[in-house]
Amino acid sequence: MANGLAGTTLRINLKTGAIRRLPTDETLFRRWQGGRGVVAKLIYDEVPRDADPLGPKNIFIICAGIMSGAFIPAGSKVGFGSVSPLTNGPGDSNMGGHLGPALKFAGYDLIVFEDISPRPVYLVIDDDKVELRDASKYWGMRSLACEKALKEDLGQDFEMATIGPAAENGILFSCITHDFGRQAGRTGQGTVMGSKKLKAICVRGSKSLPVHDLPGLKRQVTDIMLRTQKHPNMEPWQKYGTAFFIQWSNQNAVLPAYNFQTTFYEDTSKIDGDQLVEKCLITHKACFGCWMNCGKYTRAVIPGKPEVHLEGPEYETGALCGSNLGMKDINHVAYLNWLLDDLGLDSMSGGGVIAFAMECFERGLITEADLEGRPLRWGSVDDVEHFLEMVASRRGIGEWFAQGTKRAAQKIGRGSEKFAMQVKGQEMSGYDGRWAPGMLLSYMTADIGAHHNRSWTITVDMAEGRESVEGRAKIVVYLQHIRPLFDTWCICRLFWGELDITPEEIVESLNRITGWGVGAEEVLRTSEMIWNLNRCHYLERNRADGRTFDYPPARSWEDKIPSGPGKGKGLSREQVEQMLDEYYAARGWDRRGNPTREVLEDLGLKDAADNLEKIGLLGEPIPGGIPRVRGEKYKPKAF
Amino acid sequence: MINVFLKAGSELRLKLKPDVDYYTRRVETEGGKTLREILRQIGLDPAFVAFAYSEGKLRNLDYIPQDGQNITLQPPVSGG
Amino acid sequence: MRIKVDGSKCTGCRLCLQICAIENHQDINPKKAALRIEARFPDPGRYQPYVCTQCGKCAEVCPEKAIHRNDMGAYVVDPALCTNCGVCVEACPVRVVFQHRDLDRVIVCNFCMKCTELCNTGAIVKWERPAKPAAAREAGV
Repeated sequence: MANGLAGTTLRINLKTGAIRRLPTDETLFRRWQGGRGVVAKLIYDEVPRDADPLGPKNIFIICAGIMSGAFIPAGSKVGFGSVSPLTNGPGDSNMGGHLGPALKFAGYDLIVFEDISPRPVYLVIDDDKVELRDASKYWGMRSLACEKALKEDLGQDFEMATIGPAAENGILFSCITHDFGRQAGRTGQGTVMGSKKLKAICVRGSKSLPVHDLPGLKRQVTDIMLRTQKHPNMEPWQKYGTAFFIQWSNQNAVLPAYNFQTTFYEDTSKIDGDQLVEKCLITHKACFGCWMNCGKYTRAVIPGKPEVHLEGPEYETGALCGSNLGMKDINHVAYLNWLLDDLGLDSMSGGGVIAFAMECFERGLITEADLEGRPLRWGSVDDVEHFLEMVASRRGIGEWFAQGTKRAAQKIGRGSEKFAMQVKGQEMSGYDGRWAPGMLLSYMTADIGAHHNRSWTITVDMAEGRESVEGRAKIVVYLQHIRPLFDTWCICRLFWGELDITPEEIVESLNRITGWGVGAEEVLRTSEMIWNLNRCHYLERNRADGRTFDYPPARSWEDKIPSGPGKGKGLSREQVEQMLDEYYAARGWDRRGNPTREVLEDLGLKDAADNLEKIGLLGEPIPGGIPRVRGEKYKPKAF
Repeated sequence: MINVFLKAGSELRLKLKPDVDYYTRRVETEGGKTLREILRQIGLDPAFVAFAYSEGKLRNLDYIPQDGQNITLQPPVSGG
Repeated sequence: MRIKVDGSKCTGCRLCLQICAIENHQDINPKKAALRIEARFPDPGRYQPYVCTQCGKCAEVCPEKAIHRNDMGAYVVDPALCTNCGVCVEACPVRVVFQHRDLDRVIVCNFCMKCTELCNTGAIVKWERPAKPAAAREAGV
């Protein structure tokens, strides 16, 4: 069946080493669309609610989307998923580069790893050949060094994903690294991979990928290519990637500085996009099928340290490991990016954890004695390097920070919870929400904790009033349906979203690939269905009303922004509560933040409703009923 | 008086009201004005321009365009 | 008509490989392309495309005389004569002759130029020998 699926699913039991090949279930992909959608469904069905995410009953999923590998701009991504050890809820992380396409060309849409291997292994896929091999040579190697060694041993044309020593040691925010610089960073997917003693996945494929209508797809895609080549935004994207945005965030008072203490950073010009391009750039690096080539392969040069090469720092790392840590040199930010990549730690949570530790140090809550006689000062690359080594090897107080800021704050106490900048255990992205209420709401309500890729509203906040929470909830709900679709299809939102490609064109190319005759409304409902299933899963695992978990740290309403254009701004606790009330109403959930039977059954999730009811967490029926359509597209006044 | 050519895509393009080609609007203005002032002159709120890009370099809204320059206006996007 | 390569501009997007296979084999399959991209990471940290240079070595070594130069300068494989023995694959100095298990003949670039049309960075571009100046033509030089 020519529908963009490669045709085979692998189920691998790591304890026994058994590898089962199954035909890919087309109905599963038809309903859940692939990537994060398939992850949501499989972990809900297969992982017991009391299973330890680092134990044998968690499953680790690699799922290419229906669009990866197809002849489609930026059809490059792959999704990783499992129950997250960081948030204790559904976790997924997607990654660009070339691994997703390689899996499809080898013939695979989905790999599910079960149980735990008795000894370190790595997976080698070479078309039909699928083998688990002894990884003792590679266990302990840093991520980038491991990829280099594996490519020398297996062949340069294998695409690879590796974990580093951090994941091997169970650091909760460990990432998966690929192609010398792309990561699946969030939710600790590397940690789960490490808990299963799976060191790397190596894939080479030479099969053709059958699609429904190749001539039509070729015409449509060639047309999109030639059109977007002339788009005025293309050139700056190609030159800077997302790093150009650092200056904008600073000038608009959303750039986090010094652990989100303030939102204006005086030394932004030392760490911005221009610095990156002028001082560090080696080559522009693209994902499969994308000519926006936002990747920046760079060098970090620091006197006294060996020169290192990395991909980045992109916006998030530039902010969270730059201004957020008080760094004053792009080479220092790049070096930290490299170090986090090589150890195999999410650079976003990594930046958040380091910043939190720095503020604890500043306040005397941790001392040099705790840090093996070293300080941890803002802006000191050497202090951070030592701290990260303690964390990655869980030495001393590193053990606390290895579990993320939420658990570290619980250990440290003394009011530090207030400035552990996380929600549900995952650290915030590089935007401060105190003068952007929709952004704060986005952090509060994202299914995987504080992350921006589900919903990003800063321009909406600027248009509608940065101190008002009016109307934000419905827009956040809508964005939470639209944006994750790219993670189900495994195409890159940046290319498709920033160059005036219409939603109708995206659905058209989806149908040329699959032949499924899908409509825009259907894909939005699928996305809403995934969202609600993840919410139910989260509640079932965490056994309390949803509202309990949807609050930001108290800094968000207690500490007004102290400096810069946002000085004095900040939300009130009442506004935070109001946003939650409106958000739940917009979603068809009750005031406790629990999905109602009405909305779940409308989405075809009756079983999830029954499961919630059994544990007393089903939402109370809403007088007057739920909104017929949940979420509203933003119509910009200014435009 | 000088001519400055502003270019933009997406919703910003519609506000710009291009008149030279699909993406480009010619603005006649006094030399020495900043980009911010030129945007206000044509009724475009500078808050919706994330940055400007001209001659291969990132510019902010205090940049003073020269006669005949092409300036790309980028609406804010959401990082990654 | 040739293809000129500037590796410093290559971003590794692999669109050239995709369009080559789609155009010449009607398949989404980068392994059926007639060119290759070498990724050199972490050192020095860049890509290098390799395309046919029309050197003719493949035709020279073919034991079946199955490869011939056409008017455009491209080397064309006669599928009736090619036994897929692979001698040309080894002989190609740039390693851009390929075999694929779906095919019973080797893959050699036919200079359809589709890769140059899609390459966005100028890493792979069409190159034509410049025409002789008028005076030289008249002089029969």
